[in-house]
Amino acid sequence: MTTRHLVDPALLPLIDAMPPMVLSDASLPMIRAALPAMVKAVPLPDLPVTIGDVMVPSGEADRMVRCMMLRPDAMADNAPAILHMHGGGHVLGMPEMNAGTLMQWADALGCLILSVDYRLSPETRFPGAIEDCYAALRWLHEEAGALGIDRTHIAVSGESAGGALAAGLALLARDRGEYAIAFQHLEQPRLDDRTATSATPNPHTGEFVWTRASSHFCWIAQLGKEPGGDDTSPYAAPARATDLSGLPSTFIAVGALDLFVDECLEYAHRLIRAGVPTELHVYPGCMHGFGMARDSAPAQRAQADNIAALRNAFSL
Amino acid sequence: MTTRHLVDPAVLPALEAFPSLRATRETLPAMRAAMDPLLKGAPVPDLPVETSEIHIPSPEGHQVRAILLRPEVLDGAVPALLHIHGGAYIIGVPEMSVPELTATAHQLGIVILSVDYRLAPEHPFPAGIEDCYTALAYLHDNAATLGVDASRIAVMGESAGGGLAASLALLARDRGAYPLAFQLLDAPMIDDRTCARPRNPVTGEFIFAPADNHFGWSCLLDAEPGGPDVSPYAAAARATQLEGLPPTLIATGALDLFLDENVDYAMRLISAGVAVELHIYPGCPHGYVIAADAPVSQRALADKRAALRRAMAL
Repeated sequence: MTTRHLVDPALLPLIDAMPPMVLSDASLPMIRAALPAMVKAVPLPDLPVTIGDVMVPSGEADRMVRCMMLRPDAMADNAPAILHMHGGGHVLGMPEMNAGTLMQWADALGCLILSVDYRLSPETRFPGAIEDCYAALRWLHEEAGALGIDRTHIAVSGESAGGALAAGLALLARDRGEYAIAFQHLEQPRLDDRTATSATPNPHTGEFVWTRASSHFCWIAQLGKEPGGDDTSPYAAPARATDLSGLPSTFIAVGALDLFVDECLEYAHRLIRAGVPTELHVYPGCMHGFGMARDSAPAQRAQADNIAALRNAFSL
Repeated sequence: MTTRHLVDPAVLPALEAFPSLRATRETLPAMRAAMDPLLKGAPVPDLPVETSEIHIPSPEGHQVRAILLRPEVLDGAVPALLHIHGGAYIIGVPEMSVPELTATAHQLGIVILSVDYRLAPEHPFPAGIEDCYTALAYLHDNAATLGVDASRIAVMGESAGGGLAASLALLARDRGAYPLAFQLLDAPMIDDRTCARPRNPVTGEFIFAPADNHFGWSCLLDAEPGGPDVSPYAAAARATQLEGLPPTLIATGALDLFLDENVDYAMRLISAGVAVELHIYPGCPHGYVIAADAPVSQRALADKRAALRRAMAL
């Protein structure tokens, strides 16, 4: 069975141009090697936002974590900030993949954005990446005065594996109690390692762009073992958390054909039951990664929803 | 636990000003009589939309009253929307939605028919759903006269009207005579079993509470809700096969008593291969749209109209 008939026609060119990635130990280095040139080939919008690298202390000896920082040229003092985590299955990707979109957010919201170049798997297993993200959160809080940002208006945001890191970071920050997060913005987040091993998978999800097989490969890379076991940490797979109370206000958006739609609905529903203010959008006919078709109506609409939700979260 | 702190501040004043229903079979007639002038008296925007009252003969031999809204200028054969009002299956009239529907007919350039279906407890299931089916048949059978494109007929309802819309989509699929292009379910009341389940701690505090739900379902089913043999044409969530239903929009508030049944229905529709759009608005109990000027209410209305445009290829 194919689900092509369910795809929004505006997204058919995307899935035709982009067969599902087949991830393996052999293909991963090649995909990683090809990525920087692909990223460089996409022109950035002409907006008054300055992009640069910052190096953030990891907290371990003298190792530093590279982050891409975006700052509107006319940023007001005490501005809100977004800590952003890129996607890529936890095994590939770089902050620069999202530079264009993040420039638009920074410009529209007048906020500082820090996107973390966290360590990837399989070279670095859990919890390496999320600790890098935590280090970036710490830096934002500690340098808030110098950066000109408001500590009470720091959001975390991420898509796909970055959404897992954002949601995991919200849990970790809640539990450690050191650094507050005002809002979690999760785009098509990967929340549950059990999806990759489910005996009764949803038959209408995960056909395009990001498949169950890819997800399975990435969970093994991240966890260093088969997913779906008894002891997966909620900081790796946020759906494993048994208590969601006390988490920040939440936005979740996902396509109806996305491999992650079930776990996104379930997580949103559990957040609501736990008393967390939660907004959810499921977009019909949209698969994982549909935002790559940037000029399509579904992607434009999702971008408008992103900006509206962040604007609302920042009381702008 | 109160959920007041979770409510969107922009909708809270309207919710707190809204009187609690808490109807009984004894108080219901007086309540309807008191509400009738309010519901029928809402100001209608001055737009070039022709409004008429029609009476459609039903197969059972009675007349089904409906309000027909038709833009004065139609661009060829246009899509049509069958609208079903809310009111817990026991109260309400189409006129309460006419202001919003007039604007929708004008903005989208479509024909809208809003049906005055028979209410429970005087008329338990299946009276109401059969009236809605009669109205759907009318739209199809008179499509040419009305200037309607029969391949672009959608159904939309709020609350109990959303429940009827969902059941009508099932009934139309199963009878196979009158296809629907789209179902728009706004906080639909679709599962009588919610009455018998443990309460969600954050839903159902405002406007529509578990007691109201229990009373509405008891009237519709003329039986205790949650029993073994409830028809899916009464409670759509009871359907075991959702394959072949039309593309669907479900929109609901995070604090709505119907949140659980709405999320579950959306999930099951997706698994059944139905094209689904779902929006959950934070901080919104059932009926939050009475705060019509609140940003979230405006947003929800815009989402509904955008979905209709897409579904109707406008």
